[in-house]
Amino acid sequence: MEALRRFATRFSDWATIRDRPSALQSAVMSATCIALALFIWYIVTAGPVEERIVDPITLPSLADTVHSFPKLWFERALARGAIASLGRVLGGFILAAAIAVPLGICAGSFLRLNAFLRPISIFGRNIPIAALIPLTLMWFGLGELQKVMFIFFASVAFIFFDTVRSVEDVPDSYLDAAYTLGAKYVPRHGAKWAAIVGLGYAIVFGAAYYRLAQRPGPNDIELIAAWRIGFAQVSIFGLFLGFVLWFPPLAYQAIQKVLMPLAMPDVVNSLRLLFGLAFGYIMLAEVINADYGLGAIINLSQRQGPREHIYLSLILISLLAFGIDRGILTVQRWCFPYKRMGEQ
Amino acid sequence: MAGVATPLPPCSITEIPRGTPKEGVPPVVEFKGVTKTFNANTSKAFTAIRDVTFSVEDVEGHGEFVAILGPSGCGKSTVLRQIAGLAPHHPPTRGEVLLAGKPITGPGPDRGMVFQDYTSFDNRTVLDNVAFGLECRGIAQKERYELAKEWIAKVKLNPVKDAYKYPHQLSGGMRQRVAIARTLILKPRVILMDEPFGALDPATRHNMQDLLIELWREVQATVFFITHDVNEAVFLGDRCYIFSNSPGTIIHQFRISPPDRPARHIMREKSFLETVYHVREILDGLEEGKT
Repeated sequence: MEALRRFATRFSDWATIRDRPSALQSAVMSATCIALALFIWYIVTAGPVEERIVDPITLPSLADTVHSFPKLWFERALARGAIASLGRVLGGFILAAAIAVPLGICAGSFLRLNAFLRPISIFGRNIPIAALIPLTLMWFGLGELQKVMFIFFASVAFIFFDTVRSVEDVPDSYLDAAYTLGAKYVPRHGAKWAAIVGLGYAIVFGAAYYRLAQRPGPNDIELIAAWRIGFAQVSIFGLFLGFVLWFPPLAYQAIQKVLMPLAMPDVVNSLRLLFGLAFGYIMLAEVINADYGLGAIINLSQRQGPREHIYLSLILISLLAFGIDRGILTVQRWCFPYKRMGEQ
Repeated sequence: MAGVATPLPPCSITEIPRGTPKEGVPPVVEFKGVTKTFNANTSKAFTAIRDVTFSVEDVEGHGEFVAILGPSGCGKSTVLRQIAGLAPHHPPTRGEVLLAGKPITGPGPDRGMVFQDYTSFDNRTVLDNVAFGLECRGIAQKERYELAKEWIAKVKLNPVKDAYKYPHQLSGGMRQRVAIARTLILKPRVILMDEPFGALDPATRHNMQDLLIELWREVQATVFFITHDVNEAVFLGDRCYIFSNSPGTIIHQFRISPPDRPARHIMREKSFLETVYHVREILDGLEEGKT
């Protein structure tokens, strides 16, 4: 009885603005919502096929859906599909973050650069994401590169914008304090570390080219030479890009020691939220054109059945996305112990 | 101050005659007819200070403690930020701000500043906050941590327990102790304090005032201290400037004989109360004349 009272809430609590429920109460509320959804699903699909409120083509029954799981897991290779999708999102997203985060830090610090880049940022955030699919298909063909670049284009402007805002949100008084404590411009320090970061970029870019560019057959000597030149070009471009993007943040102590670390919790938090969005976008690309991946599984289930797989995939994808989100949040709390965030 | 021969009772005042500064050693800080107008030549033009002129001489082995009083919005902070060299108050629209005879070109660690709002870096522990300036200088970690721990102890924080706390775990008073420690550790020539104790409760304030006097005697820097609290100004100040209503300019300057006991005791002395009364009269007059 006592235990029951502890998580039972009174109506007056429900009607009190910002009255915080206990952790147990929150969990009970959320569990009730899930139970209710499953119960409604069960009710509308209960009984023999011809007596159901909703016919099985629109909504398969709960039991059928659960029973179709082994088929989804083994025959449709759910795990492999999930890993493939995740890999594509990660590839495009890391590439976008690698460019947009340092560029955003620079633009948040140097406001003329921000004004210069603003049109691109506004344009990038306002183009319809779905319209990028035919465009990336035209530019990058049907392969993996297209999917990675689709995620890159879909997320880069948002990451840039959020990073700029996070840096701008650091109050001026912290900068004033840093200056009066002797924060200065140290080009040698900046050059040294930017070169090291640039080397990392070269490796990542080179690896991406190695993985994504179509390698020619061993007999085609000319094409192999072209592929090697491309590999070198991309790697050198990575080195150059890493150096240029990271030199200002690392050379100015006021950015390196004050603006960047103070903005970082917000930047990472928005990266977490944007990653969730990007994970949703990849389905868009995969439904239209992919041989494997989560989107392909949904597409296949819709065309060839069983329809139960669509529902099951949707639920599992949400669970996966939620799991990733919580994972990043845990890392985030561990990295930034001085900041409470992401309570939702 | 034991060495001062004046038989004046503690915290009584004498008017400083206006005159040209002595030739020879340049003053630590000198303002020559400084005016600052924001948004000059537009409809939003606003003059924060006008024609501010003063000089604080470099006294051998004894920095002066300059308290700045004035009605709110009279440009006291502008004066401080001009000494610090912080934009947008620096550079002045007209006139010259000189530091040891040379014009100020920008901020630097030779002029430390303690702000009213808490500006401890949230991502750094107390230890790393205090060591920030040394880190910027490129001093090795071991050395700067040793020195930082010394200063954490000097501002009466616990170098074992408090050193690894983050600012959000500290009270307002403790945060200002961190701010004082990280400024004084750099041994600045000039210390600028913009109402550093404005947000603290009276008891904490008295403790901080005593602490400040103690540390200031040790570092012997010239201190500029803005406050709204007349008690604080009279207790801490060697010299006191009173600013007029906006656009601010100095209308009174006094020399105040130094305190010889903790704030709690001094603030009951007759000479102290008379000085406070006198200064408060002037300030009340200014506040009334505002409209």
